[in-house]
Amino acid sequence: MDSFRKVLAKRIFNAFLAIILIMLINFLLFRVMPGDPALMATPRLPGDAAEAIYERNVELMGLDQPLHVQLYKYFVQTFMLEWGESYKHELPVTTVVANSIMWTMLLLGVSSFLTFVIGIKLGKMAANRRGKPVDVTITSFGLFFYGMPVFWFAIVLMVVFAVWIPAFPLSGYMDPGMHPGFSIDAITNILWHMTLPVATLTIGALAGIILIQRNSLVDVLTEEYIVTAYAKGLSEKQVMKGHATPNARLPVVTTIAMDIAFILGGAFQVEYVFSYKGIGWVTIDAINDYDYPILQFIVLIGGVAVVLANLLADIVLVKLDPRVTIT
Amino acid sequence: MTNFQKHLERASRRVLRPIAGPTWTDKIALSMKGFGKITDLFIATWMGRIGIAIIAFFLFVVVYADFFMPYDSHDVGDDIRAAASWEHPFGTDGLGRDVFTRTVHGTKASLLVGFVAMAISMGIGTGVGLVSGFWGGWRDEAIMRFNDVFLSIPWLVLMMVIVALFNARNLFAVVFVIGITGWSFTARIVRSQVLSLKSRQFVERAKAIGSGDMHIIRKHIFPNVIPIVFANAILTIAIAILSESTLSFLGLGPQDVETWGRVLEDAYKESAVLAGPLPFIIMPGLCIVIVVLGFTFIGYAMDEVLNPKLRQR
Repeated sequence: MDSFRKVLAKRIFNAFLAIILIMLINFLLFRVMPGDPALMATPRLPGDAAEAIYERNVELMGLDQPLHVQLYKYFVQTFMLEWGESYKHELPVTTVVANSIMWTMLLLGVSSFLTFVIGIKLGKMAANRRGKPVDVTITSFGLFFYGMPVFWFAIVLMVVFAVWIPAFPLSGYMDPGMHPGFSIDAITNILWHMTLPVATLTIGALAGIILIQRNSLVDVLTEEYIVTAYAKGLSEKQVMKGHATPNARLPVVTTIAMDIAFILGGAFQVEYVFSYKGIGWVTIDAINDYDYPILQFIVLIGGVAVVLANLLADIVLVKLDPRVTIT
Repeated sequence: MTNFQKHLERASRRVLRPIAGPTWTDKIALSMKGFGKITDLFIATWMGRIGIAIIAFFLFVVVYADFFMPYDSHDVGDDIRAAASWEHPFGTDGLGRDVFTRTVHGTKASLLVGFVAMAISMGIGTGVGLVSGFWGGWRDEAIMRFNDVFLSIPWLVLMMVIVALFNARNLFAVVFVIGITGWSFTARIVRSQVLSLKSRQFVERAKAIGSGDMHIIRKHIFPNVIPIVFANAILTIAIAILSESTLSFLGLGPQDVETWGRVLEDAYKESAVLAGPLPFIIMPGLCIVIVVLGFTFIGYAMDEVLNPKLRQR
């Protein structure tokens, strides 16, 4: 148990370090790269008005100060939870992001849940019948969708299920004019709008989970303790449940944690195609408007979320398998 | 160096080679023998073959596109947004350009992005992995923490932000960004392979007879890392092609060359989903899927044969 505590302390320290480094990179990216944030924030006005606003912006952003002073200020502000104001909306970035992140979380939550449940099930099926038609079908399905651009798959689903068979809406998270709330109408409307984006994300992310679950289970099934388990007279079901599945769980946990960054990327593309006004939509808007504070905030929370997810996965991993030593 | 010395050196090399561990081909043979999972290997080789056929086909298209195509991809026509026909197999776009021609000519830049970005990623990843695995200590610690960061910031967000900040939407900038954001996974794999190689006997023997670090890396470690780097490189090409098309589709891709992603971007902006022609938006994407599938097949087949357990470490 002592070693567990040591490992845990090291992991937490590493996560903390990673977050500091993310902040550092986040700062440097936006300062060192070509492009002048003060100029970007200046509206295109004729005459001296733009000049004056530019001067004000330089002073406001502290761009006239040396780099290390700026860095220090950035860190202090970040830890004081002052994350800046959007240039375009003239609101705190937290407000802008909070309005949209809910919708992304909804998409990601539902699709991740479906992915894990279906993916683990299919992976097990494939591993159980290795080399049989079921396995070949599931594995090639997995490989096919593994390399599918998410945005393109979203378009295909859109063409088939929203244009040819107009069963689902083309865009948005609910009908224009409706207000989100806890009425039956609103909820069914949201679910109806969510179907295609969630289907895209689920099928897109399914492939990875299936392949990992299958491969790790196949590996485990060739171990000697499985033979022993059969030899002492356990049924196939008992072997799978008691001996194979728990041991095959480890790589799956790691992969899920690693995948979160990719799943988030998928959500961005789906939101863009379906005009689903989540965080991906906000990011693309911010890029087009050169709205730096929003971008900086999104990189920060994205990075921190993945770091925390990985930390959690490591802890779960140690709990699942005491033999794991994490370096 | 006299002739005799040269001869001696060549002879010693021949003698010393077995000590340097099994070669790449030995490894394939060994893993086939040791496994005996005939079905797995069958799938692996079967995938390898299809993958190679697909990539060969697209390389053929790249080389011979100029000979066969009747139109140029910049030829603007009167036939605007025509449906698919014999003259225009994939229809025409909003400026009357033939979509089939655009797709065929898009192959070149799309593949180029894949290969060059892969070369950048592999170069950085292998170098960093070797240093971090071989010397360990504070270098390893520093590199791995830095690596964590690259693995943590959502990949698409990072690429989008860097491309937007560069504010230069040309081929070079996009390839560079894809290359420098894609090395972290390779570095991890190389590192773990170097760690396991370092404790093998042939490296200890080399140390015992007084070889320097650089010599050991060059002669013993690097040759044994190559197969893994190679398998990983092929998967990285696929990811780079996907990245480029995604960036292009979101309007952040290179503007100076024609790629599949750009054709898709145009198709989406001209709302081909509703107004047609449908092949405009379907076919370039299908090309991406097939090429990526080809590379994935090859990579998967190689990986399965070369190092079945490494990926899960």
